[in-house]
Amino acid sequence: MSAEGTTVKAVFAHLDSLVDGIAAVKRARLPDFVVTAPLPRHEIEELIYEGRPSPVRWFTLTGAIFGGTAGFSLASLTHLNWPMIIPAGKPLVSVPAFMVITFEATVFWGCLATLIGLIVMCRLPSFGLQEEVTDARFSDDCFGIIINGLAGAAVEEWKNKLLAAGAIEVTVSGSK
Amino acid sequence: MKGLTYGAVTRDIMRPLFKPSVAYLGLLGLSVALLAWGGYCWYVQLQWGLGVGGFQPPVFWGVYITTFVFWIGIGHAGTLISAILFLFRSRWRTGVYRAAEAMTIFAVMTAALFPAIHVGRAWNAYWLFPYPNQRELWQNFKSPLMWDVFAVSTYFSVSTIFFYVGLIPDIAAMRDKTTGLVHKMYRHLSLGWRGTDRQWRHYMAAYGFFAAFATPLVLSVHSVVSWDFAMAQTMGWHSTLFPPYFVAGAIFSGCAMVITLLLPMSKIFGWEDYIGTWHFESLAKMCLLTGGILTYSYAIEHYIGWYSDNPYEWGIFAFRATGAYNWVFWTMVTCNCIIPLVWWKKSWRTNWTILFVVSVFINIGMWFERYNIIASSLAHQFDPAAWVYYTPSWVELGILVGSFGWFFTWFLLFVKVMPSVAIAEVKELLRPPLKADEEAA
Repeated sequence: MSAEGTTVKAVFAHLDSLVDGIAAVKRARLPDFVVTAPLPRHEIEELIYEGRPSPVRWFTLTGAIFGGTAGFSLASLTHLNWPMIIPAGKPLVSVPAFMVITFEATVFWGCLATLIGLIVMCRLPSFGLQEEVTDARFSDDCFGIIINGLAGAAVEEWKNKLLAAGAIEVTVSGSK
Repeated sequence: MKGLTYGAVTRDIMRPLFKPSVAYLGLLGLSVALLAWGGYCWYVQLQWGLGVGGFQPPVFWGVYITTFVFWIGIGHAGTLISAILFLFRSRWRTGVYRAAEAMTIFAVMTAALFPAIHVGRAWNAYWLFPYPNQRELWQNFKSPLMWDVFAVSTYFSVSTIFFYVGLIPDIAAMRDKTTGLVHKMYRHLSLGWRGTDRQWRHYMAAYGFFAAFATPLVLSVHSVVSWDFAMAQTMGWHSTLFPPYFVAGAIFSGCAMVITLLLPMSKIFGWEDYIGTWHFESLAKMCLLTGGILTYSYAIEHYIGWYSDNPYEWGIFAFRATGAYNWVFWTMVTCNCIIPLVWWKKSWRTNWTILFVVSVFINIGMWFERYNIIASSLAHQFDPAAWVYYTPSWVELGILVGSFGWFFTWFLLFVKVMPSVAIAEVKELLRPPLKADEEAA
């Protein structure tokens, strides 16, 4: 996540100040900014993503469908492969008896695919994030807005805007 | 939690880590000693075979299967608290769910040892899983024992994923507060988590899905364990009552174990602000609810035995209460049905000493419940010529004791290296820092 141009990093101690800062950034339609927080806050997500759901759900659905199919197929095909007739007239492919395996495989693969979705969508492991995001305060008690790709007068303008929103510290770093 | 700040939460929860006290080292030493004794007993069994156990035909399910079911039951509370109560947005879960989840993982790890111990030839345990082989010979997927293999392995995998994903933001917080080798360890374990808007967005979506998957799984896993018994044509086992009865029992024992573990931990680590009376009282209420279901189940299975007019069915229930195993039955009833009743009184369920003592009794009672189901039914089957009295040998009891050593060793190591209270989620419970509040003040 390297950025061209100048980066402005604002540190906020208050949630309402951060929300004001994000609103200003959204109003200006800045294309490249990151917000960091020590905890999930719905105010942040709603402002930035405007209620658009995370695509992780597609990973979950795909994994669950695959798992269910794989589980039922495993039980059915192995029983057909070695046709072991069990007394009491049970059919080789017994839907009720195979439901447990199907359910377990649905849950297992659904979870595994969700984990893969999480890793892919969050771009984990993310050891190479820009330095401004790695401020230790952002995992403790402060929030942050990092705006990338600013140039010329916009740098000073955003520095002032973020301070006006309530940032306790605003720093500017050069081009990457 | 009034007056706490985000910074204070991180500080308080990290404070007890990496500084083992003498008491802690003593407990760890005891756990390792128990584990070593259990390991020795297992070695004896591997050396001489299952003959060192107290098994006698037709009783081949004894202490090992009892202990397997016991630990699977203990493993229920963690995912119940973290998943089901998450979906219900229950606020008290936040303080206790991390340690309860850890308990779940370690309890299932303990339980998973027992099928291998029980079959004797532990080196063949991989036969339980389907794998391509020359003879094209596959497992019987219509067998409840096979369902159990899938249920327990899925439960373990999903609980572990859920547990680790929940830990990531907290490991990141610890990474930023540590240095040296410890920092390096947390850096890798946190996967470079930085709490960006993008990360939190997908994280919360994924967490919701994990919870949604884990919820039916919690209910299903002990139902499947109960079918190990209920699918068999054995008196006292063959009942449709078993799944809800087992699930209620598992939640009952799991919540009691959470109290047993977390109460001393909260006291020793000075975490009363995070894990306090409110949490323990809520757990006690869960125990009261599930204990009530359990008591009803005990009563109703006896009633059905009598009402069925089936001499074999009624025979086993009469035998349990009055026969050779009556001491097991009455220990179970006393510990699970009578002693927990003291929690109906508010002042007693908010008293930490009473909470702890009663929770220990429940743990004992729940082990005896499984022993009562397994041993008495097998020792008293249809043919009186096959009636026996099974007594566990010192090897079996040694392995039982060793399982506690194994469990507590893992748990004690965990509480010293990982945050046992969820830092990010506790912060969610606090009123966020607002400029408006400061200005108003």
